Amino acid sequence: MATVSISHVSKRFGDVQAVADVSFSLEPGEIFGLLGPNGAGKTTTIRMMLDIFRPDSGEIRLFGGSLNEDTKKRIGYLPEERGLYKDLKLEPTLVYFATLKGLSEADARARLEGWLQRFDLYAHRNKKVQELSRGMQQKAQLIATLLHEPDLIVIDEPFAGLDPVNTRLVKEIIEEQRQAGKTILMSTHQMQQVEALCTRIALINRGRTVLYGPVEQIKRDFAGNAVIVEGQGEVGDGDGLFQARHENGEWRLTLEPGVSPQMVLRALAERDGLQIERFEIAEASLDDVFVTVVRGDREADDA
Amino acid sequence: MRELWLVAKHEYLRMVRRRAFLLGTLAMPLLIIVITAISVTIAIGKRDDRPLGYVDQAGVLSAAVQPASSGERVVELRAFADTQAAEGALQAGQIQGYYVLPADYMQSGQVHLYYWENAPTDAVQQQFDHFIRANLAAGLPPDVQQRAIEGSSVTIRSADGKREINNQNWIALVLPFVASFFFVMAVMTSGGYLLQAVTTEKENRTMEVMITSLTPEQLVSGKAAGLMAVSLTQIGIWTLAVVIGLIVGAQYFAPLRQAEVPWGMLGIAVLYFLPSYVLVAGIMVAIGSAVTEIQQGQQIAGLINLLFFVPFFFLALVIANPDSPVLVALSLFPTTAFMTITMRWSLAVVPLWQMAVSWILLVASAAGSLWVSARVLRAGMLRYGQRLNLRGVWRAVRPLTR
Repeated sequence: MATVSISHVSKRFGDVQAVADVSFSLEPGEIFGLLGPNGAGKTTTIRMMLDIFRPDSGEIRLFGGSLNEDTKKRIGYLPEERGLYKDLKLEPTLVYFATLKGLSEADARARLEGWLQRFDLYAHRNKKVQELSRGMQQKAQLIATLLHEPDLIVIDEPFAGLDPVNTRLVKEIIEEQRQAGKTILMSTHQMQQVEALCTRIALINRGRTVLYGPVEQIKRDFAGNAVIVEGQGEVGDGDGLFQARHENGEWRLTLEPGVSPQMVLRALAERDGLQIERFEIAEASLDDVFVTVVRGDREADDA
Repeated sequence: MRELWLVAKHEYLRMVRRRAFLLGTLAMPLLIIVITAISVTIAIGKRDDRPLGYVDQAGVLSAAVQPASSGERVVELRAFADTQAAEGALQAGQIQGYYVLPADYMQSGQVHLYYWENAPTDAVQQQFDHFIRANLAAGLPPDVQQRAIEGSSVTIRSADGKREINNQNWIALVLPFVASFFFVMAVMTSGGYLLQAVTTEKENRTMEVMITSLTPEQLVSGKAAGLMAVSLTQIGIWTLAVVIGLIVGAQYFAPLRQAEVPWGMLGIAVLYFLPSYVLVAGIMVAIGSAVTEIQQGQQIAGLINLLFFVPFFFLALVIANPDSPVLVALSLFPTTAFMTITMRWSLAVVPLWQMAVSWILLVASAAGSLWVSARVLRAGMLRYGQRLNLRGVWRAVRPLTR
């Protein structure tokens, strides 16, 4: 049984079709990446999933049924924009949120101490939330998400505002939660984190699911869309065949939709002043996949 | 229910720990203490134990005749043969003033009071008034004599005998106006807090986290309950201050000793206050959910507050004709019911059907306002930077759109 099943949901706000047709499901114990450009409909989809908005059409099932008061307690949600009481002290705020999720005050306090220690916030527990740095607030919000030990964790941009040390800590914690059997939905623009953590992804663009499946499979499917070139001379302009970028002494060429590596090789071979020493099909990064799909969508619309 | 209680407790503690609440709540008792202290100081300072003189040119007063039980004797009443003697005593500072009953007193009913700078107190003047009454009624049987001295006490009773109004119980006359004042203060303060709480939670996205833990109905009801408890705490402290003020004041001011606690009136106030408060809370939550900035909300809330103030504009009508159709209509209208009913209560016997209908309408609209506010909250809470217009509000409250 899927932990979350979203089937053909749509949502319109006035004249804006925020979500047109989104479908995906989350299996127990996986880290799932929900990707998409700004304004694609990711956050609206998450909010519909959590019953903050109701969809205009489509079906959403959590833990095999519709969302109710009991299933709400099994969810931890880290919103994209932080939602803590700014004028209250940190510790009582986190205890309050945990009690709303069904914990007793004593349990909440007992669990909280360990989390505060781990996130290096223990010394700041009596400070008002507004006195904490952005990164500290982010960590505090993550504690609020996890304190009641939810079965489904929904985290929207979990690495925003974190330094490399805390980014690593949060990654460790997400991985720990997965190992503990929790299902995690992560929405982020940091593709390297998605590659490092997620087993499957869905890419939403303009309110529709445009890409959906295991990360490794998707990278393989898009592999032909990038090549690595090493040699003497300038690769230069892509002539509408590719976008080139020079990094670490090699050229990485992201191919335009419908362009094959053979076409590129032929074009490069005909160029004067370029001596190719190495030409290989690159494994596509998720970053490339993202850019290729979103740009392809946009150009198809413009055509 | 647990969630509702948690939200209520959280809102209550959050609010009562605010400096603004503490100042606002304690300012009122402090004001009462200061006013009481000043009044007591003035009363003690003004106290004059010197005798009060009188010159009886009409020949109706006898020093031997004293009121049977006209309360305590305040000062000695001293008779003078003529005005020159009384004037001399006044100038010598032996008496605080003197009355002259002219020869035609029995026809004119006129008396003249002479004093230097400070008039004898009300209590002293009342003592002389009782002395005259006792002398005029000297030949009558003692019970008639006492009635003549104390005057009449009119009590209006409803036909079923369950309600009565007594013109001697002045607290019953004053209380509705005091209760109305407290109500408006509580509505303004607490409604303002609620509006602020909802708008702030919407602005800083706390609402998004809250609503993934509980239903909009639980959130709205919890907030309303918590802030109602804040209001009741405030009113409780104020009432206590008034009661202490009355008890202390009664030591120095005789009229306060006659005060009786009008329990029926207090019961009515409580019965109407609670649903009225819920009605206000629902309206404030709906406004807070629909607007994008606190300033916008405050402007709309100001207009809504006027709906609760309306009975104040009819104060003169309440006194002149408490049963007028306008006041009956205001009694039945939910936002004005509490204030109108309590004000009319002291001056007329409000028919039972009016009270029953107005209370039922009030409770129904209070429940309705909570229901509507929960829907508007859901529709408007995540519209960051975008105001929910009236059409959006209407869409939100139509159950079929759910």
